[in-house]
Amino acid sequence: MGEFKVHRVRFFNYVPSGIRCVAYNNQSNRLAVSRTDGTVEIYNLSANYFQEKFFPGHESRATEALCWAEGQRLFSAGLNGEIMEYDLQALNIKYAMDAFGGPIWSMAASPSGSQLLVGCEDGSVKLFQITPDKIQFERNFDRQKSRILSLSWHPSGTHIAAGSIDYISVFDVKSGSAVHKMIVDRQYMGVSKRKCIVWGVAFLSDGTIISVDSAGKVQFWDSATGTLVKSHLIANADVQSIAVADQEDSFVVGTAEGTVFHFQLVPVTSNSSEKQWVRTKPFQHHTHDVRTVAHSPTALISGGTDTHLVFRPLMEKVEVKNYDAALRKITFPHRCLISCSKKRQLLLFQFAHHLELWRLGSTVATDHLLHLKTKGPENIICSCISPCGSWIAYSTVSRFFLYRLNYEHDNISLKRVSKMPAFLRSALQILFSEDSTKLFVASNQGALHIVQLSGGSFKHLHAFQPQSGTVEAMCLLAVSPDGNWLAASGTSAGVHVYNVKQLKLHCTVPAYNFPVTAMAIAPNTNNLVIAHSDQQVFEYSIPDKQYTDWSRTVQKQGFHHLWLQRDTPITHISFHPKRPMHILLHDAYMFCIIDKSLPLPNDKTLLYNPFPPTNESDVIRRRTAHAFKISKIYKPLLFMDLLDERTLVAVERPLDDIIAQLPPPIKKKKFGT
Amino acid sequence: MVQLRPRASRAPASAEAMVDEGQLASEEEEAEHGLLLGQPSSGAAAEPLEEDEEGDDEFDDEAPEELTFASAQAEAREEERRVRETVRRDKTLLKEKRKRREELFIEQKKRKLLPDTILEKLTTASQTNQNKSYLAVRLKDQDLRDSRQQAAQAFIHNSLYGPGTNRTTVNKFLSLANKRLPVKRAAVQFLNNAWGIQKKQNAKRFKRRWMVRKMKTKK
Repeated sequence: MGEFKVHRVRFFNYVPSGIRCVAYNNQSNRLAVSRTDGTVEIYNLSANYFQEKFFPGHESRATEALCWAEGQRLFSAGLNGEIMEYDLQALNIKYAMDAFGGPIWSMAASPSGSQLLVGCEDGSVKLFQITPDKIQFERNFDRQKSRILSLSWHPSGTHIAAGSIDYISVFDVKSGSAVHKMIVDRQYMGVSKRKCIVWGVAFLSDGTIISVDSAGKVQFWDSATGTLVKSHLIANADVQSIAVADQEDSFVVGTAEGTVFHFQLVPVTSNSSEKQWVRTKPFQHHTHDVRTVAHSPTALISGGTDTHLVFRPLMEKVEVKNYDAALRKITFPHRCLISCSKKRQLLLFQFAHHLELWRLGSTVATDHLLHLKTKGPENIICSCISPCGSWIAYSTVSRFFLYRLNYEHDNISLKRVSKMPAFLRSALQILFSEDSTKLFVASNQGALHIVQLSGGSFKHLHAFQPQSGTVEAMCLLAVSPDGNWLAASGTSAGVHVYNVKQLKLHCTVPAYNFPVTAMAIAPNTNNLVIAHSDQQVFEYSIPDKQYTDWSRTVQKQGFHHLWLQRDTPITHISFHPKRPMHILLHDAYMFCIIDKSLPLPNDKTLLYNPFPPTNESDVIRRRTAHAFKISKIYKPLLFMDLLDERTLVAVERPLDDIIAQLPPPIKKKKFGT
Repeated sequence: MVQLRPRASRAPASAEAMVDEGQLASEEEEAEHGLLLGQPSSGAAAEPLEEDEEGDDEFDDEAPEELTFASAQAEAREEERRVRETVRRDKTLLKEKRKRREELFIEQKKRKLLPDTILEKLTTASQTNQNKSYLAVRLKDQDLRDSRQQAAQAFIHNSLYGPGTNRTTVNKFLSLANKRLPVKRAAVQFLNNAWGIQKKQNAKRFKRRWMVRKMKTKK
């Protein structure tokens, strides 16, 4: 293995944005998550909770509601007053339609999926018809006095409950008039000056309306008579979200203190037919406000200001009690936000609106070289620095930027290459070749562009059009160090390998049903190493156009069960220049050097074995030595790479540093403090 | 004995002049009535009586002017005519003023607008704009939209983090755990380096100056 000098980097000030809404789609088992900076991410829950797509954010977009409609269509609405539809195939926004009601606070799709209801700032509830290619305004309902903060359809589609400030209205869909107006108490058994904001409502098929409000109450109303049936006080702070299961026998609420409560419909006595709603389980997985919850058939999903996305499978709903029933918490990004220039020891950090360039010094002194702000309100999608350190490229939705860097005696100067061609914008992935003469860009239309860089200018060489299979997953690129081969994932047909010198498709790695999380091509041997979201790692030989023998052996034996049970995906793979048998890969909580010359571990051996001391007997060493050398010293890891033969760089992001920059949480009184 | 002031004798008035005269007469009568009522009895009022008498004398000597109805009518008509004339004049003056103002406004507006040729071009061009890649937005609408969005964001911020909510700082939140450990530890961010910045700067400057002074005196 050898000894390495490690640059331990902790100055990457990465703070993810808080989660604002989640929407669960039962048909495809996918979760759409929208964050406070306007980013919308799609997680594939069957592919080991991997983030397979994302739509970059925008400064003026303050999304307040997200919902799925029929036919896998995703809509969002926000405080800029527009309803947006997302194109999940082309990975862009189809259109944005202004609802002309002011800022939109809530949105709900009808149970049939063909109509969309939005609640606006001016108190109006607007009904839209979903047509095959757009949405069309149908009519307004009766206008209410204050803003409509939450909406819910009755499962039959005949009535609607709308929560506002201090009251809840029930509308009849056909006539559009308000049938009932139920006044909500400002405080549970008391008087308060603060207005009671009804953050969430849910309409059940038996006519019960469940409302959650800012006084910490969960209330049950009868919609036929417009009266309060039951009131629960569950928190000292706001209860901000509610989600009901499809079978309507359980629902989940999230509070501002970070607690998530599970309510279930249980029979009053063990053999009676009468049922009542009982608060069964509290879960404290969040530190800050839980602004959104969702209820899938088997799990409770919650997200909030503390930026974690938590999946809590319910034990009574899960059939097989294995590792799948464990709590999953997604905190760190599923793609790499850092790129590295090995020759000049530079690191490029990608933030939402700016890039930072740092030079690694002698593990003590590091320089902040550059702070590059992007123009415009859009978020940066991807960025890259060339291995020689003289080119920086990044892309937003509408523009592509390429900069040339000049180094003179410790000074650095930046020059922008103007007049970028239009086809380069909205790139999903950018990569430079090893000798920094070529730039590879994967655009969101599925095309792959090769651009030749020389001096201060560029020339478009070739564009590979999308092959068969739709552009579904996020695109990843890998280039071989000798510059001959380019691998691109991103279609459902498998990973395509292109010959760069001859500019044609060389071969395609057979398709695998889990998305690719990281890819790299080894020097000299030109083996393509692919990591998938189910923690499988494949090695494919490009010259031979088939899997390598080592890969076949690993697949036959299977990975160690602890390896397969890891929570976070592998985000980066790299190789040692002098040791072809070593593969270095990492995920958020460990980094591993796979030594292909050593035997593979079976399920009985210890997977995590720190290097045993030299005075141990040879027998023990032989028993515990296997191919997977895992270290958990540096965690949580955002990036790890080999700078040269003896040096590693590890970029860590301690969770406390993220929490220290979040908005203030609710005060909790603990005994003894 | 009260000396009544002698009344002014009047010639019998004709019927037509009765209206005006009658009014005057009634007014006089009323005044006299007041005087009569207010008059004190016996000798104390002697001097005022004399004054009255003098005034009355003038009245007594002359007979009131004789006004025929025709002349009075003519006078009245004249008055009316004069009044009507002034009103008409005022009206026409106002009208003219308004007219002039309107013309002035039209002139100004014309000056403000672009020359006709450009306007024509624009109106014809607006129909062919649909294929272009830009979007024309009225700035007034955009301002309104921005202000509404800001108001909405302010509402959310107030209801979640505003007064009345029970929020605490992140430092205190993270330090709760430290306080409950068996061996109590300090808060996560124990030092507050942001206090007394001005004081610290002054102290630094003073120290520098003192050192310089000390070096000088030593020499």
